[in-house]
Amino acid sequence: MSAAPLDLETSAGELDAPRVGRSNRQLVWARLRRDVAAMVSMGILVLLLLGATVGAPLAAHFTGHPPNELFSNAVSIRGVPIGVGEHPYRADGIHRNPHAAIFPLGADTLGRDVLVRVLYGARISLIVAFGATGLSLIVGILLGLLAGYLGGATDAVINRITETAMAFPSLLLAVGLAVVVGAGLINVLVVIALFSWFYPARIVRSVTRTGKDLLYVQAARTMGARPRRLLFVHLLPQAAAPLLVFGTSIVANNILFEAGLSYLGVGVPPPTASWGQMLSDAVNSGMYRINPSLALVPGLALVLTMLAFNLLGDSLRDALDPKERR
Amino acid sequence: MSRFLARRLAGSVVQVVFITAIVWVIFYFVAAVTGASPALRIAGKTASAARIRQVEKMLGTDQPYWEQYLRFLGRLARGDLGYSYVENRSVTSIVVPAAGATASVVLGAAVLWMLIAVAIGSYGAVRPRSAGDVLGRSFAVLGMSIPVFWVAPMLSVLLAYQPTQGELFGLHILPAGTRIFPIDGYVNLRDDPVQWAYHLILPWLAYAATFAAIYARYVRTLTLEQLSEDYVRTAEAKGMTRRRLLSRHVGRNVAPVLIALLGTDIGIALGGSLFVESVFNIPGLGYTGISAIENLDYPLVTGVVAFAAVVAVIANTIVDLVHGLLDPRVRLGAAH
Repeated sequence: MSAAPLDLETSAGELDAPRVGRSNRQLVWARLRRDVAAMVSMGILVLLLLGATVGAPLAAHFTGHPPNELFSNAVSIRGVPIGVGEHPYRADGIHRNPHAAIFPLGADTLGRDVLVRVLYGARISLIVAFGATGLSLIVGILLGLLAGYLGGATDAVINRITETAMAFPSLLLAVGLAVVVGAGLINVLVVIALFSWFYPARIVRSVTRTGKDLLYVQAARTMGARPRRLLFVHLLPQAAAPLLVFGTSIVANNILFEAGLSYLGVGVPPPTASWGQMLSDAVNSGMYRINPSLALVPGLALVLTMLAFNLLGDSLRDALDPKERR
Repeated sequence: MSRFLARRLAGSVVQVVFITAIVWVIFYFVAAVTGASPALRIAGKTASAARIRQVEKMLGTDQPYWEQYLRFLGRLARGDLGYSYVENRSVTSIVVPAAGATASVVLGAAVLWMLIAVAIGSYGAVRPRSAGDVLGRSFAVLGMSIPVFWVAPMLSVLLAYQPTQGELFGLHILPAGTRIFPIDGYVNLRDDPVQWAYHLILPWLAYAATFAAIYARYVRTLTLEQLSEDYVRTAEAKGMTRRRLLSRHVGRNVAPVLIALLGTDIGIALGGSLFVESVFNIPGLGYTGISAIENLDYPLVTGVVAFAAVVAVIANTIVDLVHGLLDPRVRLGAAH
């Protein structure tokens, strides 16, 4: 609602200015710049990236708490970890030691620094999410191009597989597969990619199917363009916009997927910090009922990241929409 | 209609064969390659080669792969899911009660999320860009970004555990020992319907939140699309009331699409319920599957996944048939 007067202003300004031709990319960027939600979510994502790369070792350095080190003085004699911003205990496990470095976001049940682990956990989330998304995009694009371009039996088989794959309880299968292949960063990445390639495949398939009959594509073919050139130079760029929108939201989904697998104990193996595992430690130990921040911190990190990717995906969809006149 | 029915049912059979093949490949073929074979798991790490071969013979995993798979399919067709050596019971006797619990969670949550989604989504479509719409859309983005396995424990702290301790947000507002909602446990519907619903309120809420958000967006987009159609303008021009227009005309065009979407999501919902089940300790399929995975109980894992897959396919088929009944274009194959 508050956007309406602002739009009037800019369009009035554009009328006065000399008309300059703008490329589509410039138009999209200009729309994104005006979108508050897009800018905020990009800001959050930049912060997340900084936190994962530079922030994690910095936090470990300044608190003096490496991510995987157990501090027995951070857990009371009754087994309750210290809360947000508290000093660790003296050796007796009852009295505080005011000279020891605080744990800014408290400690977990094993006495590890939650802040440092959340920052290191962001690395895992980002690596798995982007890695799995990239892998699923490669597989999806190739199969989608094949199905859309060749048509016939190839298309029918690929289409049938994607339809079936989209309908069944993939999470359970993914958990099973993760157990069978064993825990590990690469394994988790591949498992997630295996269960998310069908969406890009569908997008690319439909674009290729409708695109191969377009005049300019036929013109390119009559000029002797090989199928490979037709597919990658002429047809694939048409799918770029939907793939970009989709890719953004699938990154969010894959972050959730990884957290879910780690939550169930089949993700990246401990002691490597990951958000899902921090959550499951808090929940399965029951300690989150006494100290909710144990579940609150990794949970909020997860929600904020997902929110940023989802909002960015929505804004990208609006900005890339050719029907949008702004 | 009968041609549509036949085509759809044939498709379902292909889907079941395809899914069970994948399940089987994962748990027997891949498992054998990665050294996590069922026989090795049962016999133990220190077992002798002869003992492993004996277990393999018992499980039938010494046969060629294709023969094993055909046997597996044949048993499945007879409704026999195998035998759990950890529980010492037939897999069917474990899976069927578990499926009841999962159905309670998923179906109850589905009713809840559809009600919420239709309320929020149609309000947003009728009054786009109003304060209520902005609020609804914010809720939708938020709901899509909050994982079930985080909502569930948070809800249980806020509504179940903290009140029990007599405080909420650190304030002592209730006498200690007050129980608003049970944290966990499951009561069979047939034993006590009231307790059944009472124990499921939190799981339903936790599970419905995510889907309600996604479906609110669907409802809003679909309704907005319909509202820009010519027939709506005609109806308005002839003075039809807003309420009648929405329920009789717009609603009828939106409902079949929503049902189709619901059909594809039931499978996802079945799989996703394992988080809700594990947080609230509901002995459903997901919970059983996870504990079977932890116990390396391969027959039970395979049984649970195959069963869930078959149920998902059946649900899909039913939804498609209903969709075909409601929308002649689907039935006649013109929609594609």
